Amino acid sequence: MPANKKYLTKSPFQRFMKITAGFVGGYAVMISAHLALTSVFNKDAVVATAFFSGYILWAILLLCAFLARNAWKIWLIYLALAAVFVLLYLFNR
Amino acid sequence: MNNRNHNIYFHLHTISGILVCAILYVIFFAGSFSFFKKEIQAWEKGQSYTHANTLAFDYDTLIDSINAQYDLRGRDMELYLQADNYQAYISLTPSKDSLANAAGSEAVSLTYDFAGHRKSTYTESYDLGEFLYRLHFLAQLNAIPLNFAGPFGYVLAGLVSFLFLFALITGLLLHWNKIASNFFVFRPWSKWKTVWTDVHTVLGVIGYPYQFIYAVTGIVLIFNTALLLPFSKLLYKDNPNQLYDAVNNYSNDPFEYQHKPLQEPIDINTIIQKVDREWPATQLTNIQFKNYGDAGMHIVFRGAADPHADFAATGKLVYRVADDTVVFNKPANTDASYIDWVRALAYRLHFGDYGGYPLKIIYFILGIMGCIITASGIMIWLVARDKNTVPAHKRKFNCWAANVFLAVCLTMLPVTAFTFIAVKATHLSGQDSLYSVYFYSWLVLSVYYVVRRNIRRTHAETLLLGSLLGLLVPVVNGIFGGNWLWNTWREGAVDILAVDLLWIAISAIGLVAFVKMKARKPKDVMRRSTAKQMERTANQG
Repeated sequence: MPANKKYLTKSPFQRFMKITAGFVGGYAVMISAHLALTSVFNKDAVVATAFFSGYILWAILLLCAFLARNAWKIWLIYLALAAVFVLLYLFNR
Repeated sequence: MNNRNHNIYFHLHTISGILVCAILYVIFFAGSFSFFKKEIQAWEKGQSYTHANTLAFDYDTLIDSINAQYDLRGRDMELYLQADNYQAYISLTPSKDSLANAAGSEAVSLTYDFAGHRKSTYTESYDLGEFLYRLHFLAQLNAIPLNFAGPFGYVLAGLVSFLFLFALITGLLLHWNKIASNFFVFRPWSKWKTVWTDVHTVLGVIGYPYQFIYAVTGIVLIFNTALLLPFSKLLYKDNPNQLYDAVNNYSNDPFEYQHKPLQEPIDINTIIQKVDREWPATQLTNIQFKNYGDAGMHIVFRGAADPHADFAATGKLVYRVADDTVVFNKPANTDASYIDWVRALAYRLHFGDYGGYPLKIIYFILGIMGCIITASGIMIWLVARDKNTVPAHKRKFNCWAANVFLAVCLTMLPVTAFTFIAVKATHLSGQDSLYSVYFYSWLVLSVYYVVRRNIRRTHAETLLLGSLLGLLVPVVNGIFGGNWLWNTWREGAVDILAVDLLWIAISAIGLVAFVKMKARKPKDVMRRSTAKQMERTANQG
């Protein structure tokens, strides 16, 4: 019954990159997305909402990193997303 | 469903599950008992809170008593009040006036009992309720001197909670297509692997919303630093306290120390009566005395509305002693803001403190269901890999891991029951002795089952032992405290009674499960043989 290995990441390096992309990159995207939201909403409310939305989003981003076929690509996507959100935040500060 | 994704969800669910299973079991088990923390405290002391209406909460006596021993001049003192509990936790900071109060240079942690007007140090007063409560967020592991962004136990608990959330999400996706079709599929007389899988998925689906809330609010309560630290650094650079004040209804604002003794006498009881009048239908949660005995003395009150009056409202009142004025007042009984609501969802849903005993009982059952889901997950992991195609060394390791995990997890029931008996029978008290009783008996029993290496026996025997010891809990309470069931029933000491009834219920269910387990064996064998026979006839036919 264990998962069919044929679909799992075989290269240890790719796997490592996916884990870090999901955990670290996902965290960066999550924090920066909420920072961007503060340009629209009250910052206290955004931080409080993040109690729920933040951790759930982070866990989903961690999952998405594993669904990606290429670890470099997902790292790149997460960094790009984080950069966009940070820019939004900086411009609207 | 996409085959690739399905297998990825499957693998991630397995890995994250097996990583956290043992700790998660401990968290769920101790956490379920924590719903009854104050009941366990009342049970252990033999002092029911239901008699509290005969008692005035005398804060002046409290202050006199602490002042006499620890000299409060120049210190900050903080009281952590607990709902429906005689006991308050107190912390004292070192004095800011080292000239006037040379003796008060050390921080102090105390516990104060309003009923007996007794104060004791925190470690002396450490009781079983506190122990189980703190075990459920692994506070005892803080003794390990590793510190990444927080005490080791809390960081670990936060990480486990996050991986639990991850396992819940992957588990849901994994089971998605079968949620409806398999909802009523439970085949307790089938082979073991099917039983474990059915238990895992059926209970998992039923308890899903509850588990999900606990995974998220668990991180929020124990390791919100992960969120608040970056936000406080980026959004609240100038005043991080403002963030904590806004989202946590808690902060430690400094008040200017004036180095002039306060002229007016401090009459705390009168002030508290005023606050009570100001905020009806409220529970005071926290009182901070800032700059005690100084002209700059302030008292900060924090409160939360009685959940029946308002689910979410919290408030803060700052009182300046020198001129007897309220400097700041956000009422705690009304006008809940959006942030109050979010916080109330995180806290109240986690503590289960808004619906009395019916809710606590449902929460307890759902919490123990979490333990069963975790344990059945370990079993699935083991039996799914117990095949000839799996290399021998891997099978050996799997067996070893499952054996150790289950020995550690399942012995918690008898060990907890045993500790209840021990604290009542020997009147032992204090952190050190409680640690010794609980952790050593846990160690001995788990080592025994690890060495024994028979998972079936571990299951059956811990269930039997736990149930039998559990039945002794009310008996011990009667013999050593005089609190027989009928006495507490007659006196209306619901909290003490609740603990006894809880153990009787656990033991009764445990014994039924044990008997069913024992009775099941021949049925299983028969089934298998009949199945084989049928197969044979089918082949022949």
